Amino acid sequence: MGYSKFFIVIPGLAFIFYLLDQFLPNFWMTLLLLFGINTILAVSLNLTNGWANLFSLGHGGIMLVGGYAAAFLTLPVSFKRDLLDLALPSFMVNMQAPFLPALLAGGLLGAAFGTVLALPAMRLKGLYFLLATLGFNFITITIVENLPQITNGPMGLRQFPAHTNIWWVWSIAILLIYLCFRLRKSFFGRALIVMGQDQDLAEHLGINLLKYKVYAFGLSCFFTAMGGILWIHLILNLYPKVFGIHLVFNVVTMIVIGGLGSISGAIIGAAIITGFVEILSPIEEGFSFFGLFEVPRLLGLTTLMLSAALITILILRPAGIMGRKEFDRSSIRRILGALRLKTKE
Amino acid sequence: MDYFLQQLINSLGWGSLNALMAAGYTMTFGIIGLVNFAHGEVMMVGALTAFWVMVFLQLPFWLGCLAALLGSIVVGLLIERIAFKPLRGAGMISLFITSLAASFGIRTLFIMLFTDRVKPFPVPDFLKGVLLLGNLILFKKTILIVLLTLFFCGLVIYFVKYTKTGAAMRAMSYDPEIAGTMGVPTERIIVVVFAMASFLAGLAAIFWGIKFGSVRCSMGVIMVVNAFIASVLGGIGNVSGAIVAGYIIGIGETLFVAYLPDHLVGLRPLFVWIVLFVLLIFKPSGLFRPNIK
Repeated sequence: MGYSKFFIVIPGLAFIFYLLDQFLPNFWMTLLLLFGINTILAVSLNLTNGWANLFSLGHGGIMLVGGYAAAFLTLPVSFKRDLLDLALPSFMVNMQAPFLPALLAGGLLGAAFGTVLALPAMRLKGLYFLLATLGFNFITITIVENLPQITNGPMGLRQFPAHTNIWWVWSIAILLIYLCFRLRKSFFGRALIVMGQDQDLAEHLGINLLKYKVYAFGLSCFFTAMGGILWIHLILNLYPKVFGIHLVFNVVTMIVIGGLGSISGAIIGAAIITGFVEILSPIEEGFSFFGLFEVPRLLGLTTLMLSAALITILILRPAGIMGRKEFDRSSIRRILGALRLKTKE
Repeated sequence: MDYFLQQLINSLGWGSLNALMAAGYTMTFGIIGLVNFAHGEVMMVGALTAFWVMVFLQLPFWLGCLAALLGSIVVGLLIERIAFKPLRGAGMISLFITSLAASFGIRTLFIMLFTDRVKPFPVPDFLKGVLLLGNLILFKKTILIVLLTLFFCGLVIYFVKYTKTGAAMRAMSYDPEIAGTMGVPTERIIVVVFAMASFLAGLAAIFWGIKFGSVRCSMGVIMVVNAFIASVLGGIGNVSGAIVAGYIIGIGETLFVAYLPDHLVGLRPLFVWIVLFVLLIFKPSGLFRPNIK
């Protein structure tokens, strides 16, 4: 067997992507892309917050760093040089890189930034780690807003080339999901999970805590930064304010609803929140209900509902939808078995 | 030198706000291990209640203050009842996420109802005006704010240290289960603590209104971060430590901005985070003895 299944799965996926790319209407396509990006964010956040019990709230700041790095590479020269006159190194101003180098560079820079900032916080536990990472968002946003000659300040950047499509988003998402499922069975993943459950036990088992914390955080930051880059190349603008605690709150909601520590839970959470937000956002703008009555504009309705949903979930089902379990071959078998029993009766 | 002293005097008001918030924050942390991100919203609701009573109902100033305190206490206890009580013993992270959700929910609700515009906060005449001390200008409102803050903080410290309820609170912050088996009515103590913390937040709301002359729905965000960091600086769970740390943070922040070049004044929020990172690297337990295991 070995790797032969890849020869079936990869062309199959490519064919599905091709079909979706050709025939899916625009609205559903955007929804699918947002779902993919949210999946990347949620699954990568689950690596630290779910498995390793390094509860990070700083992933917004990491997305911001990665996003700006990629933006400087992919923005058109005319915008960077002529319109804004940014004080960047001249080679950066005078070129427009393709998407893949920008994606990798942004991802690596995000990972490096996150790891360096998190290093002093690594020896802290629980609350203190959370507090330190919460600072990443505030620190990066404040600095970016106060460096107008480099980052164009709070005005943000525009004129992004629309690079994001189903190929980029879902190949990265599926790669990440596959990687996580493989990791879960490997020494690395098990070390992380043990560390999340009981740090002292992990140390006694001979796991180098600092090393694995840094690896987990770096890996998570790498994919999070890539998710951020994909996102800004989908919505085509970049404002520093967006990457605050609000964004992190949404992603945390996804993994808590899905079940902290579960990959499939993170994906389910991403699907639920994406659908929720996209359904509620037209209502937020206000509309006329079949001409019978006017629904007024209710900006902020989404956040309100999300908060209420999160509190309700935490009270009624603190482990989330999936708990720590995964949806894999054995659960499919279980469902099939249950169905077969029913048909026999 | 005059510039320095003047900035120091100006910063006392802001320091008092931080001290009041940090004291409340650290109390709720000590008692149920809760990082209460919604504490800023408790203050915001108090401020908006006062605004509503004074501007819409045209009632006098002291009724507005009373309404602010009442509003804060009611909201603080409601949050406790709805969001935190069902999660008792669920662990710090779950409690924190709940408080984050409560904070976002309340803030968004109020922005939907009142919009996020800056609202005037009427200040009575006897608080306007200044005193001159040589070259220094001393605002009357700052004097009142500092004196009242010190008075109420002293009261809280006395309460925690020398009364029976205070002893029960301290016992609970060491170990809630053992305190419960020793006959401490834990649920009632938690309600008392939340009421006290919310009362302090209500005071902070009134002082914010007097100091800046305006309130708005997103005012809780800055305050809660400052209070959070001040309570860590003061040794978490330690009330008098938090009050001192609140003053340190407030005074430090003002001086930091006063000595920054003009085009970098926007870096103001960075100060507390610099303090936090330095603290986390060198002395994570805070300046004073933390009151937790």
